[in-house]
Amino acid sequence: MKRVVVFISLVAAISLVLSGCGAGKPANHLDAIKQAGTIKVGTSADYPPFESVDASGNKVGFDVDLMTEVAKRLDVKLEWVDMPFDSLIAAVQENKIDASISAFNYSEERDQKIDFSDAYYTSEDAFTVADGFAGTVANPQDVAKYKVGVQTGTTQDSWLTDTLVADGALPESNLFRYDRVDQAMLDLKNGRIEVMMSDYVPAQAVAKQLGGLNIVYHGVLSSGPMNIVIPDKDVELQKAINEIIKQLQDEGFIDKLAVKYFAE
Amino acid sequence: MICLLRAQCNCARSFIKMSNFFPYIVQGTAITIGVTLVALPFGLVLGLLMSLIHTYGGNILNRIAAIYSLLMRGVPPIVLLFILYFILSGRINLSPFWAGSFSLGIVSSAYQMEILRGALLAVGGGQMTAARAIGMSRLQSIRYVILPQALRLAIPPWSNEASIVLKDSSLVYALGVPEILRRAQQLSATTQQPFLAYGTAALIYFVLVFATNRALDYLSARTKLPTHA
Repeated sequence: MKRVVVFISLVAAISLVLSGCGAGKPANHLDAIKQAGTIKVGTSADYPPFESVDASGNKVGFDVDLMTEVAKRLDVKLEWVDMPFDSLIAAVQENKIDASISAFNYSEERDQKIDFSDAYYTSEDAFTVADGFAGTVANPQDVAKYKVGVQTGTTQDSWLTDTLVADGALPESNLFRYDRVDQAMLDLKNGRIEVMMSDYVPAQAVAKQLGGLNIVYHGVLSSGPMNIVIPDKDVELQKAINEIIKQLQDEGFIDKLAVKYFAE
Repeated sequence: MICLLRAQCNCARSFIKMSNFFPYIVQGTAITIGVTLVALPFGLVLGLLMSLIHTYGGNILNRIAAIYSLLMRGVPPIVLLFILYFILSGRINLSPFWAGSFSLGIVSSAYQMEILRGALLAVGGGQMTAARAIGMSRLQSIRYVILPQALRLAIPPWSNEASIVLKDSSLVYALGVPEILRRAQQLSATTQQPFLAYGTAALIYFVLVFATNRALDYLSARTKLPTHA
């Protein structure tokens, strides 16, 4: 038994040393990207209309068009890396990807691990219910009475956990966390959960496509500004992306995208 | 009104276009097969080495092999996958494909080690004694007497492990490798038709596993020794 403990601590020590000795990192990430001529951007392409795939497997959506333009103005090629939403921040942290755009909202918790660009869009939260829902959701706190679904690792997840569950209003056993919004919406339609909390725009898209779902409340609770995720303290890349976002806002490019994808 | 009409058109169109989606999922098959073809042989080499060490190594080597097997079989593949990719390979630039394939191979090596160890033990000590008696070295005995028998015995249980690795290869989606499962997820999200998307994935996996098992059954029958009736 003692040997096992020694072995495990040895493995732990080795892994710490290996992960610690990060030598030879280029001084400036932005220069490294420009030198390589490619920016690797992570996204979770299962979230229409922000990011999804079309029939031929191409990435499409609001975020996709926006990032394509950003890369063009950075004068580099764009390489998409698709991964599940809750792997994205870890991937940016470990420099597996250069940045990530996936309808990310600002949150303090996330900000400790990575940095955000300026906002490119402002999103709202929504509560969706299925046809035949007998209850009422007059204000957000009312959802505590029902079985609530949410996507893991989202700001909505934090909001429900930190406010309703922490207060004891919503029992932990009544909060159902899903990998993806589309799974949760199907469960909502099938009656396994009663209320689904998500971003407003994707909720509208899914409700329209699935049918039999109604949005009973929308407003800013957990969400708000959407930002591109960049590595922690990466000042140069942050500045470059912020400048481009500013240009795109001034030129009306982002408004046009919103019309195209959200029919605003 | 125009907006509403267009939304409905989109919906109808995505329904019809579902058939166009199959090629996208099928393309993931190559990646699934690729991951399996790296993980399985890698696990076999590592597992064979460890099983030999466990069976014929001295007291200390034997212990190390036993601990290796205990640790690797005690960790879910997905956990090892994350450790290798996000922690250990922080600076060693391992691509998601290779990190995923090697992690699966390492996990599988522990199971393959136990399968091969069982086969080595099944050949029995008498064979080793006999081989040594006619003047073979220990290494020669293993190489020319024990292994040819043990490897044959190991094929049926090994085909089970092969199909497990094939199915576990779906885990690499967590690192962003677009194999069958991840593609099915994306299409499920785009079309809101999970049954079609996952049904396609299930069918592809089934065909792959079925073909693998039949091929290994055939190999087992072809290589069977008359003494092992």
